[in-house]
Amino acid sequence: MRARSLAAGFVIAALLMLGLLAWLILLVPAEDGVREWTGSLNPGGWMAWTFPTALFFWVITALLLAFTWAAIRFPETPRKGVLGILTTRGDRLFISLLGSAFVNLAWLGLGGAPAWGGLLVSLIYAAAVFRWV
Amino acid sequence: MDKPVNNRAWFLVLPVLVLVAFSAVIPLMTVVNYSVQDTFGNNQFFWNGLGWFQEVLESDRIHAALGRQLLFSAIILFIEIPLGIFIALNMPKRGFWASLVLVLMALPLLIPWNVVGTIWQVFGRVDIGLLGHTLAALGLDYNYVNDPVDAWATIIVMDVWHWTSLVALLCYAGLQSIPDAYYQAARIDQASRWGVFRFIELPKMRGVLLIAVLLRFMDSFMIYTEPFVVTGGGPGNATTFLSIDLVKMAIGQFDLGPAAAFSLIYFLVILLISWVFYTVMTAQRETL
Repeated sequence: MRARSLAAGFVIAALLMLGLLAWLILLVPAEDGVREWTGSLNPGGWMAWTFPTALFFWVITALLLAFTWAAIRFPETPRKGVLGILTTRGDRLFISLLGSAFVNLAWLGLGGAPAWGGLLVSLIYAAAVFRWV
Repeated sequence: MDKPVNNRAWFLVLPVLVLVAFSAVIPLMTVVNYSVQDTFGNNQFFWNGLGWFQEVLESDRIHAALGRQLLFSAIILFIEIPLGIFIALNMPKRGFWASLVLVLMALPLLIPWNVVGTIWQVFGRVDIGLLGHTLAALGLDYNYVNDPVDAWATIIVMDVWHWTSLVALLCYAGLQSIPDAYYQAARIDQASRWGVFRFIELPKMRGVLLIAVLLRFMDSFMIYTEPFVVTGGGPGNATTFLSIDLVKMAIGQFDLGPAAAFSLIYFLVILLISWVFYTVMTAQRETL
């Protein structure tokens, strides 16, 4: 019974997140039918939102929700990896996200273009963290 | 650890999460938004992509501030850690004097940062400050307002005065936890004073020393108030550390974009250090 209500809660959360994403896409300004993806979502408004930054936080929120659900649904035992510290999935997510930030900065600092190259490297890094840390 | 971890209790921290969101997460999100845009005021923003990050990563000014910051942290760690150990080793172990020394050692830690800055700002002045006046009377050409070396010396001595107590108190706590039996065994083996320190006291202080090093590194890496009050980052840029430069950029020049990119990189570095700090502390607790 509790498991079912929990699942229902997360389904509602997932639907809300999808709705939020749809709303964000609708907010993207368009000129002559062409969407300006980097335009201001709320011109002159609070916090100066743009779609890319909103999507960035949306992805992180979605990851946190997914990992929260996974932690409750599939309880786990912390394990010791190459770093020699006990980690759970959540710890590995944190290490992946923090490390990815540095990977992207390094990519940018070393004159790496295009920017998505850094993203690709950080995805490989994150996969490695989840496999070996 | 064979039991699976039940993470449901995390729901209990949701109210705190709301408060933190209000005071930290939402402002941080705004900083992220600023870091990819440019503004000329009036709350109008224009997309700039990763341009500010590129600029910050290549900025000589920020590299110089980072260099000064690392040099400052290295110098104060190099002085405060050995000095703290030395003081802790010489503090009385028990009785009235132990209590008195503990209180005296704790005093500098109780003074607010800006007051410490003001104390040293006045203390070092050549016209009315005791330190500056005495040094001038001794014939030394000391002036922290004009001379970069004097400014650095003043700030370093101030930090050592303010924070060595912390290292000493942590080491003292580590020393107090060593059972007498270790010292008795050392006496039976006729160990020298250095041998006792090297093979008993230092290994037993390892945990607290690690905490002291990380704490002092993190604090000194984020230092703002004291050098700002004493030198204001000067003379020139001689004592402009990362946080002082950041405030100059954000509030002085109103360069919101570069300042936002700069603060995010700064934040990531601090987050990394904090994570290492937390991980080391919890790993230690598990081994106890």
